[in-house]
Amino acid sequence: MADLLRGIAGMSDWRVWAMFGVGLALIWLAVKKEYEPNLLLPMGFGCLLANIPFSSAVGGGFLDVLFKGGITNELFPILIFIGVGAMIDFGPLLQDPEMLFFGAAAQFGIFFTMMLALLVGRIPGVMGIPGLREAAAIGIIGAADGPTSIYVATRFAPGLLAPITVAAYSYMSLVPVIQPPVIRALTTREERMIHMESPEHEVSRMVRVIFPIAVTLIAGIIAPMSVALIGSLMFGNLLRESGVTERLSKAAQNELSSLVTILLGITIGSSMGGKQFLNPTTLLIIGMGLIAFVFDTAGGVLFAKLINLFRKRKINPMIGACGISAFPMSARVIQKMAQQEDGSNFIIMHAVGANVAGQIASIIAGGLILALVR
Amino acid sequence: MDSVVAEGLRISGLSYVLIFAVLGIFYGLIKLLLRMLPQRDDSA
Repeated sequence: MADLLRGIAGMSDWRVWAMFGVGLALIWLAVKKEYEPNLLLPMGFGCLLANIPFSSAVGGGFLDVLFKGGITNELFPILIFIGVGAMIDFGPLLQDPEMLFFGAAAQFGIFFTMMLALLVGRIPGVMGIPGLREAAAIGIIGAADGPTSIYVATRFAPGLLAPITVAAYSYMSLVPVIQPPVIRALTTREERMIHMESPEHEVSRMVRVIFPIAVTLIAGIIAPMSVALIGSLMFGNLLRESGVTERLSKAAQNELSSLVTILLGITIGSSMGGKQFLNPTTLLIIGMGLIAFVFDTAGGVLFAKLINLFRKRKINPMIGACGISAFPMSARVIQKMAQQEDGSNFIIMHAVGANVAGQIASIIAGGLILALVR
Repeated sequence: MDSVVAEGLRISGLSYVLIFAVLGIFYGLIKLLLRMLPQRDDSA
């Protein structure tokens, strides 16, 4: 009886109600708006479980066990990457390797936001003064890559993990809303109507097999901190491209991805305790995440425009915006925008090439930040 | 300038340049692979 009364008494804390609202909002976004439902729904439910007063799911419960076994030791994001790698077809990138540079350019938002976090943190009374590690963890939202954001945040700012993850996944699902106005503001209609020839040549199977192995070795030697991230992504891709492990590839794409996504989502949700989550820093992080995505998009588009100054055969600058890691959302958005301007314009292959380049670039960015920030 | 901000600026700039450099290496790698291992009908 005393336990029952304790739970009811705990409901007098306004933060419990506020976090119920946050959890329900995430579930609503997943169910009603279909924004990243595979992640937001488990996150929303995990948030509810964690905020029920005296919940047995946390405080030594199964969600704490999952947190220690999958987030603190970075296991879940790594396993997710194996599944993502098995899903990615690097073919469009291998056909048109120039797209790699758009992946690099569109990481601009990470570093802009990292600097912004450092500067905002120095305004008295705005937020706790973040060190380089916290600022880097906030900036990595601009990687537009959930597992990389979780991986870096876990190492650099575990206390900020929940708002960083919520921001990263929320804005990834909002790419169709965020990118078009930024692209329109930075390009003319004529630029958006530029046609690009589709690459003609096919890529041999041997190239597809060697690519993930070579990328792992090169990236690993240059930035050993990125081995776990890039290695797991490329391992998944090797399962796919080898052509001899179809069963494993399918398992990585389906069973492994689904299972880990469930566990990752509900565990991240469980880290959204009212005391840690409801503070001005969370709001600032959510705001800075949006800025990161905006400047990623701007960086990619402006880089494409810069390249066009020196090229005879122009690139549609919208392709630059696809250099973010939100795959395949960004490529779809850009193809749709191209067709809105000119129904006969098909730039989807280039867009997908830039988009998968963004996947690689975001991991490299995460690895470099982990290596350079002390 | 605050030393932490200055360090952040240095790391940000260096990281951004290094991303281009690493992806530039991958670009060279892909070009090399495509040249050495072109698609043939029997390898499809």
